[in-house]
Amino acid sequence: MFKQKPRANRFAEQTQRTLHGDAGQVRVHSAYPSRLNFYLVPPQYEITVDEFEEFALDRLHVLKALEGAQLRNKSREESKQQLDTVSDKYLPLHSNQAVKAHNVFEERRKDHISHFILRLAYCRSEELRSWFLRQECALFRHRYENESMAEKHAFLDDLQLDWKVLSNEEKKEIFEELVSASAWHASQYSGQNVGLKERAKAFVESEGFFEVNFERVPELVSRRLVYIRNGKAYVPMSEQVSLVLDEFRNRLSKALEVTAKMLPRMDEDERLMPVLNNINKQYLGKDYGAQTKGTAGAVTADEVDSLVAHFPPCMRHLHMSLRHDKHLRHGGRMQYGLFLKAIGLPIEEALVFWRRAFANMTEDQFQKGYAYNIRHNYGLEGKRADYKPYDCMRIITSNPPSTGDHHGCPFRHFSSQNLEEMLFRYGVPQTQIREFTNLVSEKHFNVACTRLFELTKKLQGADASALVRELITHPNQWFEASYKSSKAAEDPNAMQIS
Amino acid sequence: MPALANDDFGLHDDDVIMDEAVDKAIFRSTIMSSQDDADYGTLLRMFYQRFFPYKMYFNWLNYDTLPNKNFFNREFSFTLASDVYLRYNSFADAEEFRREIERLQPVKIDIGAIYTAKPKDKKQLRPQAFQPVEKELVFDIDMTDYDEIRTCCSGGAICLKCWEFMTIAVKVLDEALRQDFGFKHLLWVYSGRRGVHCWVSDETARKLSNDSRKAIVTYLEVVKGGAQASKKVRLNQLLHPSLSRALDVLKDYFPQLILEKQHVLAEPETWNKLLELISDQVIRQALDERWQADPTRSAQAKWKDIKQQLLASNYNEARAETVMREIIFQYTYPRLDDNVSVHINHLLKSPFCVHPKTNRVCVPIDPQTCDSFNPLEVPTLARLHQELNDYNSPYGSGKSLSDIEKTSLAPYIKIFDTFVNELLKEVRDQKRGKSYGVLK
Ligand code: SF4
Ligand SMILES: [Zn+2]
Repeated sequence: MFKQKPRANRFAEQTQRTLHGDAGQVRVHSAYPSRLNFYLVPPQYEITVDEFEEFALDRLHVLKALEGAQLRNKSREESKQQLDTVSDKYLPLHSNQAVKAHNVFEERRKDHISHFILRLAYCRSEELRSWFLRQECALFRHRYENESMAEKHAFLDDLQLDWKVLSNEEKKEIFEELVSASAWHASQYSGQNVGLKERAKAFVESEGFFEVNFERVPELVSRRLVYIRNGKAYVPMSEQVSLVLDEFRNRLSKALEVTAKMLPRMDEDERLMPVLNNINKQYLGKDYGAQTKGTAGAVTADEVDSLVAHFPPCMRHLHMSLRHDKHLRHGGRMQYGLFLKAIGLPIEEALVFWRRAFANMTEDQFQKGYAYNIRHNYGLEGKRADYKPYDCMRIITSNPPSTGDHHGCPFRHFSSQNLEEMLFRYGVPQTQIREFTNLVSEKHFNVACTRLFELTKKLQGADASALVRELITHPNQWFEASYKSSKAAEDPNAMQIS
Repeated sequence: MPALANDDFGLHDDDVIMDEAVDKAIFRSTIMSSQDDADYGTLLRMFYQRFFPYKMYFNWLNYDTLPNKNFFNREFSFTLASDVYLRYNSFADAEEFRREIERLQPVKIDIGAIYTAKPKDKKQLRPQAFQPVEKELVFDIDMTDYDEIRTCCSGGAICLKCWEFMTIAVKVLDEALRQDFGFKHLLWVYSGRRGVHCWVSDETARKLSNDSRKAIVTYLEVVKGGAQASKKVRLNQLLHPSLSRALDVLKDYFPQLILEKQHVLAEPETWNKLLELISDQVIRQALDERWQADPTRSAQAKWKDIKQQLLASNYNEARAETVMREIIFQYTYPRLDDNVSVHINHLLKSPFCVHPKTNRVCVPIDPQTCDSFNPLEVPTLARLHQELNDYNSPYGSGKSLSDIEKTSLAPYIKIFDTFVNELLKEVRDQKRGKSYGVLK
């Protein structure tokens, strides 16, 4: 598929249909007649390793945004807007109306290739597959709903899905039942002054229906929105999206399983394997490394305590433990030290900060045991690398704290009792604590953290949703959002942070 | 997804129990039975020896006459008299099944799913190699879910008055499953105490995904909300065809069952509960006052009062009728235990178990004649024993019959035989169809 050197197409065995010839040369409209894609045919392009990684990460940005929107129960409008923004940035995909203004071929090629890369990366476990499937379905739905009627029809014609359309005679035969089953659709239908039954009649008269197996539209069945007889569901054409989506889901889910089975036998280029193996663990946000300036400008050792109010729970806990024990073990020093570095604590101040904090220690002990390490974090010792602060993923998944350790993520590593106490201290009302424990039990630690951020900011009277558009996935992201909002509040002329 | 832990079904993971414990349990029940001739243990032994329809039972779960994976990959679990619970049993054929049943003398048999491998080998298998793949679509309707509306009994008790709720449930669900979903092979079974089970055994039903099971159950569920919610039914003015059909059944029973037998409108306590389903406080109060003032007013008249009062207030005909329907549905529409139906690996008590408390056999019910089914007349072990003795005594008619035919169990076995034979016929037809297909 992704050729570094000429070799056989490894996907050819998995799909019956393969494109022949060099698809890159084919005119836009025959390779990608629509921007919607069922991804039935693997791409046949040569791409570079860099492109490979870039495409994959860009698509991941979009999928993660989709996940975030679902998890946080944003309204349809809000999520749609947010999604459009993220798509435009990472994976623009213009419709056929925009052929002239944009290079739609390039866009669609990228969409196509990136989908197949992520298939490879996400086929390897049940958990990854179901995550990928869910997000891809949501993405497809989002795009499909945005498409014009004509485009939709052209796309479906092309797919040649064999859905049985009810003939006029058949429709007449079950007309009454169709009407009775259309209460919900009729209520969406205009003409408020006419009775529901009249509206339902008008709806059925003007609507076409598909006859499909009831298992294909579980949503519509469970909400009793369609007429069902003998195992067949009669689906109004306006509900086509359910059917299309079902088709998309079924095909992708099967394809993922096939890919998973093929994976061990596929010898992708060895340069690509590390990329594939790491994609699902990628942190996509800002990395708050050396290139970025300290969030709070230059912070002095003395100022740290006054900034704790802007720390996320994990860092606040580390800070409190440090003050209480006058010590922190290695895991804690790393997690907290790099965080402080990224908010703007320079090396000289860091040495002062830690020296004072370890109050029970002799100067000699400190110099021998700790100073080196601190300088090392700042890239002044050893291999002189610039160490980046840890993102949540790393804190949550690697190096779990053992007794005596205070690093880690409270949402992940605290006992439920300690977590509840912490939330209580944050001022979370008793009635809402349940929401957090539920999120945590479902392993949505970042969502819980983001909710806590929103809640505490709301308690302080700030407009929380303007502060965090995306999920908090980095402790420094919490700090940045919190710190900037307080600065903005102090200075009415300051720019609104977006 | 890995199979759910046993805990998820409120069962203990007792499949680790050692054989020793099992042997002890058997030993104990033997001792007990030697003390009193006609006690439960002895009678159960007689039942398993002379009445349990092993052959047809095997044909049912095997969906053919020669043993195949439908049977040998099927999970059975047993509860013994000592409360020992044994999960993940499986058997090669009817004979092996019979021998184990007669050895263990289980007080309860549960049927689980068909797995990708033999359940008895579970411990040697990787979890991925042991997944549930098929099971009948099952329903469980239990009288305790009706405790908030029935006035005659509560808890485990039932009488003929409240049994009618089950009759309604059988009728409504049987029609919906057949007409809406096109299922043909439905086995309705008395649960032995206070409820009914349904085993939808069509091939398509056995192969349903959990999602589709969930869709069906949600489609069939009308009464929603826990103990905290008073109004549990919300209907559209335009009634879905499936609900219209159900309403036809409900209307047949409602006046008799709710107004006469359950006396729901006879006392302020129960009538006010019913009136709570009307959202308008003023209407509720008006009705309450009127009925308080006229203690002799008949239930039928009161029922008519409700609609009149609605119409006299700001309700138009359609809205008033919808409220009346909501009341009827809340008081009579079947209440499902959806957990049992939704998960493919959920276990359900097998037909032809004998309930340890009531001693009644879990017999099939014919939905066509479910009106005349009387749970209090279902044969008990003692009665079967008696009937057998009577028949075999010198005063019996002396014709040579099978043990079953000598007793009141016979008509129920016949229902079961008919059900299984229809399934087998379909399998035969299918096979024939396939071989003809080659010739064509
Ligand atoms: S989610 Fe991230 S920022 Fe929040 S507490 Fe956990 S590790 Fe810290
Ligand atoms: Zn009763």
